[in-house]
Amino acid sequence: MKALNVIYDGFIRRNPTFVLILGMCPTLGTTSSALTGLSMGLATMFVLICSNVAISMLKNLIPGKVRIPAFIVVIASFVTIVQMLMQAYVPALYASLGIFIPLIVVNCILLGRAEAFASKNSVGLSAADGLGTGLGFAAALTLLGAVREILGTGTVFGLQIYSSDFGALLFVLAPGAFIVLGLMIALFNRLYTNR
Amino acid sequence: MLAYLAIIFSAILANNIVFSQFLGICPFIGVSKNLESAFGMSMDVAFVMAVATAVTWLLQHYVLLPLGLVYVQTIAFILVIAVLVQMLEIIMKKTSPGLYSALGVFLPLITTNCAVLGVAIIVAQKDFGFLYSIVYAVSTALGFGLALSLFAGIREQLALAELPRSMRGVPIALITAGILAMAFMGFSGIC
Amino acid sequence: MKSNLANMVLSLTVLTVIVGAALAWVNNLTAEPIAQAKAQALADALSQVLPPFDNNPAETATRADGLKLYSATMSGEAAGFAVESYSDDGFGGRFEIVVGFDAKDAVYGYRVLSHAETPGLGAKMDTWFATMPHDIKGTSIPLAVKADGGEIDAITGATISSRAFLGAVNRARKALETYKNGLK
Repeated sequence: MKALNVIYDGFIRRNPTFVLILGMCPTLGTTSSALTGLSMGLATMFVLICSNVAISMLKNLIPGKVRIPAFIVVIASFVTIVQMLMQAYVPALYASLGIFIPLIVVNCILLGRAEAFASKNSVGLSAADGLGTGLGFAAALTLLGAVREILGTGTVFGLQIYSSDFGALLFVLAPGAFIVLGLMIALFNRLYTNR
Repeated sequence: MLAYLAIIFSAILANNIVFSQFLGICPFIGVSKNLESAFGMSMDVAFVMAVATAVTWLLQHYVLLPLGLVYVQTIAFILVIAVLVQMLEIIMKKTSPGLYSALGVFLPLITTNCAVLGVAIIVAQKDFGFLYSIVYAVSTALGFGLALSLFAGIREQLALAELPRSMRGVPIALITAGILAMAFMGFSGIC
Repeated sequence: MKSNLANMVLSLTVLTVIVGAALAWVNNLTAEPIAQAKAQALADALSQVLPPFDNNPAETATRADGLKLYSATMSGEAAGFAVESYSDDGFGGRFEIVVGFDAKDAVYGYRVLSHAETPGLGAKMDTWFATMPHDIKGTSIPLAVKADGGEIDAITGATISSRAFLGAVNRARKALETYKNGLK
C-alpha cells in the first residue's frame, strides 16, 4: 500500500516535469515526436530505478562526505550501460536521441531522488519511487511529444491524423518546445495546484 | 581563419546552446531573475566550460582513446568536471575572496549544468582539434551568456506584469523563451 | 556512516573498481552487436541506393578526398558504384549522404545518412529528390537548382538545403569520375 502511495506521489504530486520542473533539457530537446519523447522517458526511468535500487543498497556502506561523488559514479555507470545497449539493439533510436542519452547523468531528477529518497529508504520503496518518478517523467515527455507532433505534422506515433500540409511547423521546431511546455505546465497548475 | 569565424558565429547565434540545442536550461530558467546574477553565472560557465573542454579533450585523446577505454567516457568526463569545479571553488576562495563572493555561489550548480558536459561530449564526438574545441567552448559559453542576459532583462520587466495565477513563474518564462528562440531562428542558415 | 579518510578512499576505490569491471563486461557483451548494427546500417543504405548486386560492396570501400567509394558487381560484371558524400553548406551545417550510380555513371538512388536541416523544410530532402518531377534518378550531368540556372526544382522554402544537397551529389559524381579506375 505504501509503495502504491510512493508511486502516485512521484507520478502526480511531485511530477518531475510539471511540478518540480526538473530535467528540462531532455524534456525540450527530445520531444519533437511522441516516439522520441517516450524512448527518452523510458531510458531515464530505467536508469532511475536501477540507480535508486543500487544507492538504497549501498546507503550504509558509503561515508556521508563522499556520498555525492559515489551517487554520480553509480548513476553514470547505469547511463553508460543504457548507452551501450541502445547502440547495440536500437541504433536508429540511439542516433535520434543523440547527446541526450549520455546527458542523463546530469539530469537533476536522478541525483535529487538519490539524495532525497533512495539514501534514506528501503530497497523496495526506492524502486517504487524510481518507478513512480520515472513514469511521471516518461508520461510527461510522451504527452509533450504527442502534442507537438500532432500540431506540427498532423501525426502521432507516425499515424496520420490529418494532412501534414495543415501542420504548424513551428511546434516541431525549437520555439514550439518552449511554448507547448509552458502552456502544459500552466494547465497542470490549473488542474492540480491552484484549484 | 574563416572556419573559426564560422564556428564562433554559429555557436553564439545560429546554434545557440539554449535556444537551439536545449542545453543548460535549468540555470537559464533558475538564475535569470535579475541581470546581475545572470552575468555572474555566465562568467562562471564560460570559465568552467573552457577549462573543462581543454581537460576532457586531453583526457579523451591521451588516455581514453589510446587505452581503448572510450566506453567509460561519460563517467570520466563527469568526474573530471566535478573535481574541476571543486578545485576552482577552493582556489577562488583562497586567492580572491572578492571574486568568490561575487561568482562563487553559482559554482556548485555548474557540476550538474548539462551544457558543460554536453560541450565536452559534442567536442569528443565530432572529433574537433584542440584549438578548435576551445574556441567552440568559449563561443558556446558566450552564446549562453547572451541568452541568459537577454532573458534576465526581459524577466525583470515580466515580474511586473499581471498574469493569471497558473501562468506566473515558469510557464510564462518558457513561453517568452519560445518567442526569443523564434528570433534566434532568424540567424540560422547565414553561415 | 561516519566519514574518515580511510573509509572514504576505500569505499570510493571499491565502488570504482566494481563499476569499472561491470562496464568492461557489458562493453564486451555489446561490442559484437554494436559492430553488427553498424555494418547492417551500411549494408541497408548500400542496397537501397545501388542497382541489384551479388558481391559485398562494403568490403570494397576506398577512401579518396575525404569521401568513401564502393563498387558493386553482378556475376563479375560492374553493376554500379556508391559514394559517401557530404556538404558543409546545409542550413543546419554539415550533412552526409550516400549516392548510388549505375554502371553508366547515372544516379540510381541516394540516402541521407545524417543531417541537421529544418524538420518539414530542408529535412524533406530524404524523399524530395526521389519523387517526380524533381527526381534526380538517371541524371548524369552536374546538377543545379533552377534559381542557379539548373533544371532541378528546389524544395519549397528550402533553396539553401537543396543547393547544398545537389552540391553533395556533384561532389560524389566528381570523385567517381576521378577515382573510378582505381576501385577494387
